Amino acid sequence: MDWLAGTLAVVANDARLELRTRVALSGLGLFVAASLVLVRVALAQGQPSVPVAAALLWVVVVFASAVGLGRAFVAEEERGTSLLLQLHLRPSQVYAGKLVFNAGLMLGVVTLAALGFRLLVPVPLVAPGLLAAALALGALGIAAATTLLSALVARARAAGPLLPVLSFPVLVPILYPAVTLTISASMSGSWAEAQPDLVLMGAYAGLLVSASFLLFEYVWRD
Amino acid sequence: MRRSPGPMDRDLALPRYGLLYRLFGVAAAVWITVVLVLGFLGPVPNLPILEQSARNLYFHVPMWFVLYAGAIAGAWHAGRYLATGRTVHDVRSEAAWMVSTVAGVTALVTGVLWSRFTWYQGTGLWWSPEPRQNMVAVQLLISGAYFVLRGSLDRPRQRARLSAVYALFATATMPFLTYVLPRRMASLHPGAEGNPAFSQMDLAGDMRWVFYSAAVGFLMLGWWLYTQRVRAKVAELRAEALAPEAAPVSVVVSSS
Repeated sequence: MDWLAGTLAVVANDARLELRTRVALSGLGLFVAASLVLVRVALAQGQPSVPVAAALLWVVVVFASAVGLGRAFVAEEERGTSLLLQLHLRPSQVYAGKLVFNAGLMLGVVTLAALGFRLLVPVPLVAPGLLAAALALGALGIAAATTLLSALVARARAAGPLLPVLSFPVLVPILYPAVTLTISASMSGSWAEAQPDLVLMGAYAGLLVSASFLLFEYVWRD
Repeated sequence: MRRSPGPMDRDLALPRYGLLYRLFGVAAAVWITVVLVLGFLGPVPNLPILEQSARNLYFHVPMWFVLYAGAIAGAWHAGRYLATGRTVHDVRSEAAWMVSTVAGVTALVTGVLWSRFTWYQGTGLWWSPEPRQNMVAVQLLISGAYFVLRGSLDRPRQRARLSAVYALFATATMPFLTYVLPRRMASLHPGAEGNPAFSQMDLAGDMRWVFYSAAVGFLMLGWWLYTQRVRAKVAELRAEALAPEAAPVSVVVSSS
């Protein structure tokens, strides 16, 4: 399957490049760690309630996504390799490859953030499985939202916080169910009650991926 | 004397607004004036807490309609721009987003004021955790992001293309933001959770016709603002293309 081979080649290429220098990966990891420490310091002696802790966790995750996911396309522009990608691969393959890579990156970010939160800002946890599902769906949704927008921002070559400005409103329908599920994982942990939120997150991620597939070509081809 | 159509007319056709349009403008002005007079002077049922603030219905809700209409028109023209590449669609898309943003700001402000003097009477609160309020704020963030994106891009064709992509992407998420999410959240807002809204029994007879007229009137006003802006912008772009204020040594590029 040529299409799949091309897509996986993009993923493998990005993975190889990031693992070779590890600068971007460790930078992102340190960003998450630094944010967690900042949160802990800002809370001083206080013990936040479950809703506040859930909100803080997801705010840290969203900000980490804004910082970390822009690299996928900006790096191509900086290295001057985007033209090579345009010549060798179809736009759908480039997008799918970058999406898979970003999804992997986001899964790493949410894992790190969640583990850090368990350590630094402990709140009761009744249903770890539900929390894991919320984190995974959230990570995928954030990757889906941010990948197209990061391509847009890279093409724009714009300075300043353009990616957060563009992506945060689009992330709201992921953020709200994710926080609800995180709170539920700490309190009651009922999977039946969680179902509408899980479906909502999945549906929204699906919508974003479909829209991105359709629109990516217009961003990619000058 | 009408000259023969050139290449610019395909790309940036000047909308021809004749007598019918001018009559429409007059009609819209008269309609809105009547609505405003009736809105402020007409009878409203004087319910506890709500009292005269019920008049806000004539302004708050139609703004929501204009916001939606503007966003859909903006997305439609963004799609047409990506399909055809004609600059006029980019101009129309931007004008629609502008009208949508103005309506959104008005909807938000009227909503905040309304809730402050009814739901939050005596509490001193300005911003409620009301889901629809938050969602309009998010919609305004999207509008703001659209204009920030446009401002950050210099090359006209790139600006048009990338902002069209963002417009379509963001409008695709609008049904989730403004329809699906608020239904999941607890809310006092009319129309949510079975609260009374627009059904026959809920809207007082006194107010019903003024409300319908207000909705139509504000949509007319919104459309008129939109067409005015489109015409002004197209005329400006055509003038620039024909006689650019360029420095003596630079090459004339109408759209790169």
